[in-house]
Amino acid sequence: MSREEKQLEMTLDAVQNRLNDLKVSIGAMVHKLETEYEFINWPTFLDNFALISSHLTGLSKILSKEICPPLRNRTVLPLMLSPERDEALIQLTQGRVPVFSHDIVPDYLRTKPEPMAEQKMLQNEQKAANLSAEAAAKQVAQHNKVVSHILDMVSKKREEWDIESSSRAGIQQTSSMADTHALVAAVGMGKGLKMGMPMSVPGGGPGSMMVPPAIRPPAPMSSVSPGGVSQLGKAPSAIKTNIKSAMQVHPFQR
Amino acid sequence: MNSMSMAQVASSKESVSQANQEYLLQGSIIASAVEHLIHRLRGLCDNVENVPETFHDLEVCMSMRQPNQVPLQVRVRRALGTRDLPFQLRYIGQPELDRSRPTLVRSSIDVGCTSTVLEFLTELGCRVDFEYVSQGFLFRKGRMKITVAKIFKIIPGKQNDSEPVCNSYLVELSVLAPNGQDAIGDEMRIFAEQLKPLVHLEKIDYKRLGNIP
Repeated sequence: MSREEKQLEMTLDAVQNRLNDLKVSIGAMVHKLETEYEFINWPTFLDNFALISSHLTGLSKILSKEICPPLRNRTVLPLMLSPERDEALIQLTQGRVPVFSHDIVPDYLRTKPEPMAEQKMLQNEQKAANLSAEAAAKQVAQHNKVVSHILDMVSKKREEWDIESSSRAGIQQTSSMADTHALVAAVGMGKGLKMGMPMSVPGGGPGSMMVPPAIRPPAPMSSVSPGGVSQLGKAPSAIKTNIKSAMQVHPFQR
Repeated sequence: MNSMSMAQVASSKESVSQANQEYLLQGSIIASAVEHLIHRLRGLCDNVENVPETFHDLEVCMSMRQPNQVPLQVRVRRALGTRDLPFQLRYIGQPELDRSRPTLVRSSIDVGCTSTVLEFLTELGCRVDFEYVSQGFLFRKGRMKITVAKIFKIIPGKQNDSEPVCNSYLVELSVLAPNGQDAIGDEMRIFAEQLKPLVHLEKIDYKRLGNIP
């Protein structure tokens, strides 16, 4: 019991804080509109709106939280109404509500529905009163039938969508981040491609035995081409390059 | 056959002076889903009625090391299987990874050249850094170029059967454009969005991938 009360108190505190924030930002907005209406621009105006709506969102979040005790189960009762000015009330509401009279209580405490809603309610009640019990039962049955039919349709569709989305999740694995990185690193930096380079020397063409791997001439370039350059043509070029590269340890330092 | 080099040579000829920035997005696709991707790309790209263009190229990355300087890297690309197509020499700059940009941007200079370019570079003091074979498909949409290619390692001694780097295909979406044309980045991002969830094309800084085994 006391736990529940504690919770209620906490919730009310939080709600009050939010409402205060909301009040302040609405006040700021009104103030802006009154004093700067000549040169206020849309972005600041919309910023103000965003602020207010964020406060509202926060408020509804608090109200929808599970720990919040159901506030709608509680009733607010006006205990005393009087047509006279109430100074304490004026101060409390910053001069907005001077009296707590029969006139304003229905609006402020929502003891009365909105006029539009009230009218609708009256109409419906009249209609209901004119119906015979039999016709009413028939209509209820019909209504239930339609609603259950719609419910069936909706749940069926939902099942279909669930199956579809789950099967789509199964197909989804068409690309792999690791493979992307491996490929990009290979093409960009030669990662995994350089490993075999020193090995290529012994297996290379004739003449390449003497060439250190680092200054190896681009032999595979031609050797991969099917029938591109003959082995005979490659050997002299390798030797020639070898001599050149030995001389060119610091090609641009002279 | 080797439309890749052809296209690049052609485009490089007219644009050496202006189009020097490459806008790039990269991703990969597992081999079993490549058919699906090709199908989608055929629908999305230009020349729907044609069979997709293919290429089979060898790329050699050479670098010139000088004391106290960052090594200068150039790439030579040639078509395998045909001998009469020109080689392509390409310089790629450091990638700019500006967070506000939707794609990776790097400077890129392409030139067509003769087959003696390798000897020429060797004489200049360049050394082979690494090489690979890339074989796959090429698509175009407007000025965007999309390649889907398998990357093969070259195994010394066994020139005829090369080993793939991994079982996925590399997917690249690139555009060569003049400096400052940032609108193309958004165009590419929208296109990349259309290939999801098959392929996730992203800007990848390969310098940061250094520690991946």
